[in-house]
Amino acid sequence: MAEYKKPLPNITDENRGFWEGCKQGRLQLQKCGACGHIRYPISHVCPECLSYEFAWTPLSGRGEVFSYVVFHQLYNKAFAEDVPYNVALVQLEEGPRLYSNIVGVDNDAVKIGDKVEVVFDPVTSDVTIPKFQLRQT
Amino acid sequence: MHPLRDKTAIVGVGASPQGKIPGSTALSLAVEAFKRALDDSGLKKNQIDGLLTFPGTTAPEEGYNFLRVGETLGIDPRYAGSMKLGGATAGALLHQAALAVNAGMANYVACIFGDSAATGGVRFDRASGWGDSLAIWGFMAACANSAISAARHMALYGTTSRQLGEIAVACRKHASMNPNAVMRKPITLEDHQESRWIVKPLHLLDCCLISDGGVCVIVTTAERARDLKQPLVLISGMGQAYTTRNMEREDWWYVPHQKLAVNDAYQMAGVGPKDIDVCQLYDNFTSSVLLWFEHAGFCKVGESGPFVEGGRIQLGGELPINTAGGNLSESYMEGWLHIVEGARQMRSECGERQVKGAEVCLVTGRGAALNTSNATILRKG
Repeated sequence: MAEYKKPLPNITDENRGFWEGCKQGRLQLQKCGACGHIRYPISHVCPECLSYEFAWTPLSGRGEVFSYVVFHQLYNKAFAEDVPYNVALVQLEEGPRLYSNIVGVDNDAVKIGDKVEVVFDPVTSDVTIPKFQLRQT
Repeated sequence: MHPLRDKTAIVGVGASPQGKIPGSTALSLAVEAFKRALDDSGLKKNQIDGLLTFPGTTAPEEGYNFLRVGETLGIDPRYAGSMKLGGATAGALLHQAALAVNAGMANYVACIFGDSAATGGVRFDRASGWGDSLAIWGFMAACANSAISAARHMALYGTTSRQLGEIAVACRKHASMNPNAVMRKPITLEDHQESRWIVKPLHLLDCCLISDGGVCVIVTTAERARDLKQPLVLISGMGQAYTTRNMEREDWWYVPHQKLAVNDAYQMAGVGPKDIDVCQLYDNFTSSVLLWFEHAGFCKVGESGPFVEGGRIQLGGELPINTAGGNLSESYMEGWLHIVEGARQMRSECGERQVKGAEVCLVTGRGAALNTSNATILRKG
């Protein structure tokens, strides 16, 4: 595998559950042990009720495109071979929204409201990045 | 009636040369702006007893920036500080100055900004979040947040890129009447449409400039201002609001805090959208301006696209905006020049670009990853 030059996560005790889940093919986020809120971004405390209790909870990986942009400007040279590339803000069925890429289709083939499902891209031996593809159902 | 309505005045404004100023630093530009504002006000340096600064993107002192600026200007203030709220800092410092002079904690506050972003090497390759997490997916730079916002507005309401172009065209037209503007050559809607994509759906001509420059605004009480050199410019209303939760708030993209900020300013000033003669609306990207029209009550939710068509927002139209050219065409001073132009319109000193009979001006600021906002109502004294 060619050397991966794009930014990688700094894996810490706080976010390890997320990245370990991806490596094992599961999209999981923190569910508050007190109020049940599923939060993102990853945090040590619930932004709704301030409880420290939580469990990493597997999600369906299904959602829809909430907003969608295509980067033509090269801001970081590690993406030189990718431009133009897309970034979507994905609305997950369980509530949270996260940024990712829609893979497997032309940039122009994606529109806001399209249904998507998670796929996993193992970019290094340590890191697997969650991305999304269009789904029919 | 709100106790601070019309109790504060802008008594001096100044800006350094703008654009690419080789050899300049954030500090040298701030100093030049201060000298010009002080001269504009007729005050003596030793009367300035408040010092509020914005470190911008290139001042290395960050939160201690006021110390460096104060040392350089030889000012030991009674009231001071530095604040960083992105494009909302200018308005927030103006408000802080108003609170300080009305509380008697300072008599004359200089709010100062200098930035050498054009020649000082600002880097835009970092991610738009805390840490680097979003860069993993290639999401980075300020344009991305506004592009996300614009794309959703387009999908929900049918807003078009040409409608965004109306804003770029209006700002450039106004800059062409401003000898201090950086970009003065008029553009057409076709020029806008043909300019390259930056982060689609935003074209190059949807984006603000990147500029070197400095700006200073001097504030005192309305009472003291009556004895000073310039025509009276009153701060009639002030409002601020913030959305810190980019991901957790479903409506973050719509920048809902802007509506709260404008409503607070309207309420303090005792005015509404029908009373506004001219606007200086924060325009880091054209799409930001659209949302201001909706949040400030000039049109309904989702209707800002059609609202800006047909020259309504140009000089001579019903609601002229950004009469000096804005961040898009005058210079990217992160909204500081919006306050300066607002004050100049209220002094009726804008010549060819003066909005005739203008007595009430709405000035807005917005910054960070859409997170910060404020609004100020200026009134001719």
